[in-house]
Amino acid sequence: MGHKLNVNGDVADVDVSGDTPLLWVLRDHLGLTGTKYGCGGGYCGACTVHVDGAATRSCQLPVSTLQGKAIRTIETLEERHPALVKTWIDNNVAQCGYCQSGQLMSASALLDGNPTPTDADIDAAMTGNICRCGTYVRIRAAIHEAAGQGTTGGTE
Amino acid sequence: MMNAITNLSPEFSRRRFLGVSGVLVLGASLPVQRALGQTSAPTTFEPNLWLAMDGDGMVRATVHRSEMGQGIRTALAQVIADELDADWSRIEVVQAQGDAKYGDQNTDGSRSITQNYDRLRAAGASARLMLRQAAAKRWKVKLESVTAANHEVVHAASGRRLGYGELAAEAAMLPVPGNAPLKKEAEHRYIGKPVTHVDAGDIARGEGTFGADFSLPNMATAVVVRCPWLGGGVKSIANKPSDEPGLVAIETLDAAPSAGPYFTPLGGVAVVAEDTWTAVRVAQGLDIEWTESPNQTFDSDQHRRSLRDAVAKSGTAVPGSEKGDVDAVFAAGGTELSATFETAFLSHAPMEPPVAMADVSDGRCVVHAPLQDPQSARPLIAAQAGTTPDKVAVTPTLLGGAFGRKSKPDFALEAVELSKRLKRPVRVQWLREDDIRHDYFHAASAQYHRAVIDDEGKPTAWLQRSAFPSITTVFAAQAEQPAPWELEMGFSNLPYTVENQRMESAGIRPGVRVGWLRSVCNIFHAFSANVFADEMATAAGRDPIEHRLSLIPESGKLKQPGQPAPPGHELDFGRLRHVIDRVRKLSNWDKPRPEGVGLGFAVHHSFRSYVATVLEASMDNGRPSVSNAYVVLDCGTYVNPDTCVAQMEGAVVFGLSLSLYGDIAMKEGAVVQSNFHDYPMLRIAEAPATEVELVPSQGRLPAGVGEPGVPPVAPALSNALFAATGTRHRVLPIRA
Repeated sequence: MGHKLNVNGDVADVDVSGDTPLLWVLRDHLGLTGTKYGCGGGYCGACTVHVDGAATRSCQLPVSTLQGKAIRTIETLEERHPALVKTWIDNNVAQCGYCQSGQLMSASALLDGNPTPTDADIDAAMTGNICRCGTYVRIRAAIHEAAGQGTTGGTE
Repeated sequence: MMNAITNLSPEFSRRRFLGVSGVLVLGASLPVQRALGQTSAPTTFEPNLWLAMDGDGMVRATVHRSEMGQGIRTALAQVIADELDADWSRIEVVQAQGDAKYGDQNTDGSRSITQNYDRLRAAGASARLMLRQAAAKRWKVKLESVTAANHEVVHAASGRRLGYGELAAEAAMLPVPGNAPLKKEAEHRYIGKPVTHVDAGDIARGEGTFGADFSLPNMATAVVVRCPWLGGGVKSIANKPSDEPGLVAIETLDAAPSAGPYFTPLGGVAVVAEDTWTAVRVAQGLDIEWTESPNQTFDSDQHRRSLRDAVAKSGTAVPGSEKGDVDAVFAAGGTELSATFETAFLSHAPMEPPVAMADVSDGRCVVHAPLQDPQSARPLIAAQAGTTPDKVAVTPTLLGGAFGRKSKPDFALEAVELSKRLKRPVRVQWLREDDIRHDYFHAASAQYHRAVIDDEGKPTAWLQRSAFPSITTVFAAQAEQPAPWELEMGFSNLPYTVENQRMESAGIRPGVRVGWLRSVCNIFHAFSANVFADEMATAAGRDPIEHRLSLIPESGKLKQPGQPAPPGHELDFGRLRHVIDRVRKLSNWDKPRPEGVGLGFAVHHSFRSYVATVLEASMDNGRPSVSNAYVVLDCGTYVNPDTCVAQMEGAVVFGLSLSLYGDIAMKEGAVVQSNFHDYPMLRIAEAPATEVELVPSQGRLPAGVGEPGVPPVAPALSNALFAATGTRHRVLPIRA
C-alpha cells in the first residue's frame, strides 16, 4: 500500500507493505544507500537516521508509523552540519567507513541537543553505534572538535 | 547489454582525491591540449599498469588491492604520486578489477605495501622521467637541465615550464625506460606523510559505494536460508509461498561438502525478491527440513576439551625446534611453571555482512562485491557461471570491514548461481545472523607451556604445545595437522633465548569452516606466550619488562625452525628491544598506579612488524575496564603514518572485543550466537584512550600494519588484570 514520507525535506510516496522497515524503504525504494544495514535488530546503529530530530534505528521503524514525521538521512547531513562532516574527514575518522553514516547521524543528533558534550555525554549518545574497525577515539575527538567549532545550531 | 564489463564502476571513476584541506579539487586549472600542434586524437600517456594521464593532466592511479579500512587506496596512490612528483589534487584513484596482469591481488597478510612499494615507486619514477624527456625534447635542451616538481616540468635556466598534461601526448610517444632513478628519502612529498584518505569525503557524506550499494536495472535481491550445520542440504520445504507480492523465486542451492568445503557456497534455500524486505520476510517464515551431515554432532565444548587433552600430552614435534634436552632439565627439578591456555572460536563480524551483486548474461558475468581478492575469485566465478575467466569482470567495491572474511568469495558465487538461473542481476544479502553463524571461524585453540626458570626468571627449559583446527581443513578433506605457516605465527618463532626447548603441535578437525581472521594464529600464540612469560617474571619477583628484555638477545636476528624469513624480514632482536623500550617510556611504566589499577605488557612480532603494547586496567563492578592503551609500532618504512596510528588504535579495540566478548559456540553443529546482543563488540564507552608511537624506520623494508597490532592486546589485558588483582586469566574471552 502507499505511504507518504517526508525524507530530507522532500515528500516521497512509496508502495510497500506497512511492516517494511524504513531502512529498506530508504535503500531499496528511494535509492538513499548512505544508510546501512548492519544487524536488523537495533543493536549496531549502522542504520541510524533522524526522525523528528532524534537519532533512531531505521531497521526498527515500520514505514506505517512514519506518517507526518520528518526523516533526515546522511545524504543531507552536511547541509546542516558542515563542520561535523569536515572534522570527520580531517581527522581521518573512518576506516572501512561502513558504520560511519550511523555514527555521524548519532553524533549530529547529540550536538543538536548538546552543543558542548563531555566525554560522558558522547559515550552515552554514541553507545548504540558499533565500530568494528575501532575508530572510537577519533569519533570522540572529532565530536569535541566540531563542538568547539560551533557546528550546532543547524535547523531541521 | 553489459558493456560495463570493460568499464570501471562509475562510483570509482568519478571519485577524486581530496586534498588535505578536504576540498574537492578537479583538474580544471590546466589548459587542455594547448599548443601541441597535433592533429591526431589526444594520446593517453600510460607507461605502465599503474598510471594513465590525458591532456587534462588528471592522473588515474590504479589501485589493485581492496580497501577495507586499512587505507590502501590512499597509500598505494601516495607511492605512485610521490615518485611521479604529482600534484595530489590531480590524482584520481581507479579501482582495478581482478586481473592476473597485476600480479597478486590478495589483500591479506598485511602485505600490500611490502609487496608493492618498490614496483609502484618505479612506475611513478619511470613516468616522471618520461615527462622530463618529453619536455627536454620539446625545448631542445639537455635532460639534466629540466626538473619535475608538482605536476610540472621546469627548465630553470630559461624559466620555461610545462604542465604534465601538456606533455602527456609527447611522453606517450617515448619508449618506457627500464630503470628510472628513484627519489631520495628526503625528497618524498607523500610517502611518510599523513594524507587524508581518498574515500574519507565520500564516506562522511554517505556516498561511498559498498557491496550493497551497487545496483543494476532489474536487479533482484536474495536472502539465503542456510543449513545450521556444515554439509547439510535441503530435504524439504514445508511451506513454500507462491503468491507473495514481490517474490521472484525460491531456489534450492546445493550443499557444500561436509569436509574440505573450500570456497563452495554452503547451499540452502534462496528467497529471491524484488526488494530486500520481501526476501527477508519470506526467508524468515520458511520451514525447512535439512539432510544430515557428520558435522551435526559438532559441539564446541567437546572440541575445547579435546584441544585441552591434546596439549596435555606429547604432540607432533615442530621440525628443527628441539634444542638441548628439555626432559633432562625437567627431571632435574628446580623452579617449575606450567600453564594451559584456551581461546574460543571467533566470528569476523565485519559491519558489512557478506553481500554481492552478480549479472550473468550473454555468456558473460559481472560481479561487484566487497572481495579481498577479486583475481582469485575470477576463475571460481567463471566456473559457477559456466563461462571462462576472460568473460568475467570482478570489481571490488569498498569493503565494509573484512578482517579476512571477504578473502573467501563463497557469497559472490551464490549471487552468480542465482543470476545464472534467473537470467537477471541478483544481489545476495547476508543477514547479520547468517554472518555470525556461517562464517569461516577463527579457530578455537589450546596451548600448554611448561618451563624451569633460574633465579632471574629466565627459562632454562621451555616446552610449548599448541593445538587448534588448521585452516588447511577448509581446503582438504583429510587435512588435520597445523601447517608450518600457522605455527610460524608466534609459536615456532618466539624471540627468547632458551637452551633447552621443544615445540609440539596437534590438530583436530572441526565441524565448521575455519579461516584466517585479522592476525590469525598470532592471536592465541601471542596470548599464551606473553602471559606465560609474565608468569615467569612474577615467579622470579621481577619487573615484567626488565625480565622480558633479559630473555631477548641484545642484537642479531632470529634463526627460526623451518623456512627462514625472507632477507630483510628476519626478526631483528634490536628492533624488538627498541619497541619494548619505547613503550616503557610512552606508558610511564615505572610510575606507580593507584591501588587496584594494573599495567600489563606484551610484545609480538608478526607480519614483519614489531609491536609492544601496555594496557592500564582495573576491575570495575566485576568487569575488566581498560582506561589507557599505549602502543609502539615499528613497521619499517611507512607510507601514511596517520593510517599506521589508526590501525593500532583500531587493533586495540578489535583485540579488546575478542578478549572480553569473543566466544562463538556450536551445539549439534549449529552456532549458538546470532547477532550483536549475544556476540557483543566493544562500544565507545569501553574504548581506552590510546597513544601510539610510530618508530622512525624509513629506509628499512616496509612491513605489515593492518594485523600486527592485534596480537599483543589480549595478553597485555590479562597481564594488566593480574597486576591489578592478582588473578591470572588464561582463557579467552576473559570472564571476570
